[in-house]
Amino acid sequence: MVAFEVAPSLSRVGARKDGERLASEIAAARVKDPTKRKQLEEPLYGEVDYELRLLDGDARAGGVVYDGRMLAEVLMRMIGEAGLGVAHVVLTDRLVSTFSQEDLRHHLRTVVLGFPSIVSIPGIVEAPAKPRSYYVKKQAMEMMGASQLEMERLKEQFRGSFVDYGDPAMIEVLKGLLLQAVMFHLTLRPFCGNRTCRLFNAHWQEELLASQVAPDGVCSTHRSQLRMLSKKPFLRW
Amino acid sequence: MPIFEKSSEKAVTRAIVSQFAKDMERYADMDVIVIGGGPSGLMAAHDLAEKGVKVLVVERNNYLGGGFWIGGFLMNTITIRAPAHKILDELGIRYKQFEKGLYITPGPLACSKLIAAACESGVEILNMASFDDIVLREKNRVAGAVINWSPVATLPRQISCVDPVALESKLVIDATGHDASVVRKLGERGLIKIPGFGAMWVEKSEDAVVEHSGFCHPGLIVTGMAVSTTFGLPRMGPTFGSMLLSGRRGADVAYKHLKAKK
Repeated sequence: MVAFEVAPSLSRVGARKDGERLASEIAAARVKDPTKRKQLEEPLYGEVDYELRLLDGDARAGGVVYDGRMLAEVLMRMIGEAGLGVAHVVLTDRLVSTFSQEDLRHHLRTVVLGFPSIVSIPGIVEAPAKPRSYYVKKQAMEMMGASQLEMERLKEQFRGSFVDYGDPAMIEVLKGLLLQAVMFHLTLRPFCGNRTCRLFNAHWQEELLASQVAPDGVCSTHRSQLRMLSKKPFLRW
Repeated sequence: MPIFEKSSEKAVTRAIVSQFAKDMERYADMDVIVIGGGPSGLMAAHDLAEKGVKVLVVERNNYLGGGFWIGGFLMNTITIRAPAHKILDELGIRYKQFEKGLYITPGPLACSKLIAAACESGVEILNMASFDDIVLREKNRVAGAVINWSPVATLPRQISCVDPVALESKLVIDATGHDASVVRKLGERGLIKIPGFGAMWVEKSEDAVVEHSGFCHPGLIVTGMAVSTTFGLPRMGPTFGSMLLSGRRGADVAYKHLKAKK
């Protein structure tokens, strides 16, 4: 049994006393060039101002990608070492990415595992790749100068093959991602190779739906592991 | 019997000059100067003037409205996506629902109504005047605009030494579109680094433009397409709903700032 405690949003915790510094650190985590591992430029005055407004609840997040590792560092400083005894999972309405050594560019992520782990809600929709045929059609429509509304209509043709905003499947996916974050905290081994296990690390939307919305839950190996963890949490390398 | 009252050329000239001189005296010290009279600039100016703020719009053309007169492919039907249609309601602009969440209105109607609403709310307009430079104060705070008559830029080089004039204000709003002319002046001085059009999340760029509308430097607020240039957001097509909402957001940020300073 895992107990969850819901903490208030970032804007309402004590860190607001030093809001400008926090806003500046978050602004510095923006991914401006996805081909660069680290974004070295100082954040603009306006970027810090925007982050301040976001923290004050006076603006909505959107259109910006943040380096998940840099965000985790900012959050880690806020939590402090004493907080490591608890599995902290931060749910965010921002898009987060991590740099891939495979193709040397940033990629959007659903979850960035660490201390704390970060789960990106829009990332559930945007990070895992949609079916290939969707992108082929989308590209063709873009070349024809299709409007954003027509693009939305295209999504209708592929309904059910990926998670979209307001989709009830998002709740189930979120549960699985939270489980991955908790497993990471307890064992540092959050993923499973079984495509129907909720701990499967999905890179495609169809895989995400198959692993998270399937009735199986976790695989038998992880079921027994979770049972053991509920009795005595342990670290295993 | 003539239709019109009797007057003279000299009286007409005196009427123009004396009124314009009084206006220019007022323009020299404003609360907010908006550079660019397109949809976002007019919207920002309108909202501020409605709250009693002294606002001047500087427009380089003789007409206001920017690209708001026409939609895509030079066709004068404007499309507005919800929730920006609420602004059309506020301004009394007639529109039709095309489909759920998408509304259409004739460009000339929407644009002229927006201009009229801005003027009626008390916005001052200086057209045929181009932004030339910024006025800087302590800690490089933007505190006004240097302007000149637009035709000066087209004069031959040997007679182009026509000095501009400077207008002071508490805040300046850059609503100059993708050019981001005011922000670029800060860039030329090394006070800001303009990233250009960037690698952001293209599908949500409209939202990002609205949400990033606000301060980009002390004393300087950006609205509209200038936001894309300033913050490196993706280049967008003509999305008028976001221009109106961006202007409104810029006005809101400006008003809160002015109120806090009082």
